[in-house]
Amino acid sequence: MTHQTHPYHMVNPSPWPLTGAFSALLMTSGLAMWFHFNSTILLSLGMLTNLLTMYQWWRDIVREGTFQGHHTFTVQKGLRYGMILFIISEIFFFAGFFWAFYHSSLAPTPELGGCWPPTGIIPLNPLEVPLLNTAVLLASGVTITWAHHSLMEGDRMSMLQSLLITIMLGIYFTLLQASEYLETPFTISDGVYGSTFFMATGFHGLHVIIGSTFLTICFFRQLNFHFTSSHHFGFEAAAWYWHFVDVVWLFLYVSIYWWGS
Amino acid sequence: GAESQKPPPGKWWTPPFDPRFPNQNQTRNCYQNFLDYHRCQKTMKRRGKSAQPCEYYFRVYHSLCPISWVQRWNDQIKEGTFAGKI
Repeated sequence: MTHQTHPYHMVNPSPWPLTGAFSALLMTSGLAMWFHFNSTILLSLGMLTNLLTMYQWWRDIVREGTFQGHHTFTVQKGLRYGMILFIISEIFFFAGFFWAFYHSSLAPTPELGGCWPPTGIIPLNPLEVPLLNTAVLLASGVTITWAHHSLMEGDRMSMLQSLLITIMLGIYFTLLQASEYLETPFTISDGVYGSTFFMATGFHGLHVIIGSTFLTICFFRQLNFHFTSSHHFGFEAAAWYWHFVDVVWLFLYVSIYWWGS
Repeated sequence: GAESQKPPPGKWWTPPFDPRFPNQNQTRNCYQNFLDYHRCQKTMKRRGKSAQPCEYYFRVYHSLCPISWVQRWNDQIKEGTFAGKI
């Protein structure tokens, strides 16, 4: 018996889960040190080790799948389940922030003036930059679908082009949102309005940056011929994540920007 | 003003059931009547009419509201930091 007679991947021992766990400990304790004792050394160390873990762990997965052929159909199915479950957990994460928003905005307390937006808060006009942001993300959903179809049809140039446009739209969104953050007449410390607005949109913005990074990795992998027209799960996972980020924005836009104004 | 904060003459009964606030949490009932009293005062004064109808709201919010809330809101009104629309 010199070869495996099952379709699963028995992964070789790896140090990255351990370094990842350490980085999580360093980051959490580092956050506490920064908040309470004005020290950033632990947090910086944690973020560095976290970045290194992610880079090396995912690099190894690419090596195992793309270069060594360990990603059989069954393994790919498991990866699909994994990505779906992860995205579901992220949905629950955002559900919390939406719950907080609706809890405070559906029954505004006397401290707020019994109204929403609270007295003194000047909300952003939903028909200005926020609407542009909506168009940008919806368009990026179209371009990423274009990229996927190009990939499946073996059209290398179109795939690279449309994926690049998708990434640029993501960056455009991030820049627009950053400019909005500088322009708002209210801050995160302006009552529960500020808190709910910036927690929800802030974490969404972080997810846009994560998604754009994931897409950029896919871009370079495509440049290096990693994907085939029938096997490109890394790209599909990135696309699912990107659509998720888009849908979260739509909920944000309708709830906080539009109804909440 | 300070004069309008004197309790009105006559019998003082328990606030009647208000179907706008049917549940156990009566915060909004207190707050709404506080607002309505001040809005009533402001409007009647502006029209040069007697503020006698406003006494109803005065009685209700004094029965329902914790006194610390009323004191805090009156202080905020004086400072110009009251969040409600009067």
